[in-house]
Amino acid sequence: MRWPLTAAALLAALALQTALTLVLPRESRLFDPFLLVVVYCGLAFGETHGMLSGAAAGWIQDLQFGGAVSGLQALTKLLVGFVVGAVATRFLIAAAITRFLVVFAATLLDALVFQRFALVFDVATSDVAATGLVARATLNALLGSLLFQAVDARLRREARP
Amino acid sequence: MLAALVISHLVIVSHQVDAGGGNSLLERSAFRLFAPVQRSVAAVLRSVEAAWSGYVGLRGVRHENARLLARARALELELEQTRSLAEEAGRLRELLALKAALPFETLPAEVLSRDGVPWFRGITIDKGDVDGVRLQAPVISPSGVVGRVVKLGGRAARVQLLLDRDAGIGALIERTRVTGVCAGQVGFEDQGTTDLVMRYVPALAEVAVGDRVLSSGLDRIYPKGLVVGRVRAVGPPSGLFREVIVTPTARFDQLEQVLVMRLPSENLTLTESVR
Repeated sequence: MRWPLTAAALLAALALQTALTLVLPRESRLFDPFLLVVVYCGLAFGETHGMLSGAAAGWIQDLQFGGAVSGLQALTKLLVGFVVGAVATRFLIAAAITRFLVVFAATLLDALVFQRFALVFDVATSDVAATGLVARATLNALLGSLLFQAVDARLRREARP
Repeated sequence: MLAALVISHLVIVSHQVDAGGGNSLLERSAFRLFAPVQRSVAAVLRSVEAAWSGYVGLRGVRHENARLLARARALELELEQTRSLAEEAGRLRELLALKAALPFETLPAEVLSRDGVPWFRGITIDKGDVDGVRLQAPVISPSGVVGRVVKLGGRAARVQLLLDRDAGIGALIERTRVTGVCAGQVGFEDQGTTDLVMRYVPALAEVAVGDRVLSSGLDRIYPKGLVVGRVRAVGPPSGLFREVIVTPTARFDQLEQVLVMRLPSENLTLTESVR
């Protein structure tokens, strides 16, 4: 059941991001629904699922919202998914505040790793101001921790006999 | 597994970097697979917008006591809709006029989505290889050059805007015929950075603020003579060259319809009457 749910979540992220780019083009750059899916997969299902869902999410972003070279966001999110999954299997990350911190850190990691790869492959990207990056991480973390709580509550309700 | 995945991604990315980008079968298939989702979302959004407008109008009409107020609201709404239709008609008229004036075949396309990620500046359009769009095809609007096609699907394509840091266009100053390369320099936040920077302008060349900048055609992508922008500032000489800041004429934040060139642009030149 994990994979159909992940696929549905990724399609929902694609739909949400497309809608946001049309309605709020500037603000849509501050929010990454694909990253939230990857982080949740890593937290809930471990490093392998986090890594594979990260690669899938990154490829969708590369193809639908990326530049001329594809694969950079896939590689970045693959690593982010793996790291989040690895952390989640070693530490208890259930409280909203810890999840907030995980999404915050994952957003920073995503940006830094992506920029490193872009540098290595000589792909020019927009400069990221520290304030913009912190705003992006905070928004992702806020919405992510709320969303994760809502998803968990729903899954718990469904699991009850 | 991690190592295998990382290595395979590195190989895929390296292959594209070596080949200067590209459009593999996998990419085309995946793009083709996901483009309908974006197309559906755009269509749903437009329907919701239309339904919402109708709902707001109906709510006012329902209350008889506030008939006049409702009437005024309905009229305001109607006025807004008419204004919006008139604006759209104006845009389409401009596009048609441009299409008719251009000496090559173009294809009108609608914008399906915009940037989405902070690293790149691009749009997705609703025309793809089935409609005759090809990779590297220049995309233009009535106000100026927009960018080029960098990814292709069956019925959608991704366009890299001139604002993107990875984009570039051969340019020349119309008045003095001085050539250079215009590139994007946009940052994470657009504020103050939507200007283009024109590099490799000889330090002794005559360039003045307000000069019009056109495509030079030397990049073999964009035809010669398209309007790129106007000089906003001229930097001090640095060695043999100087940098010139160019404000693009295309209104990137308001793009809704664009024209995609269908034929190779090599050896094409636009005349003053077309500009």
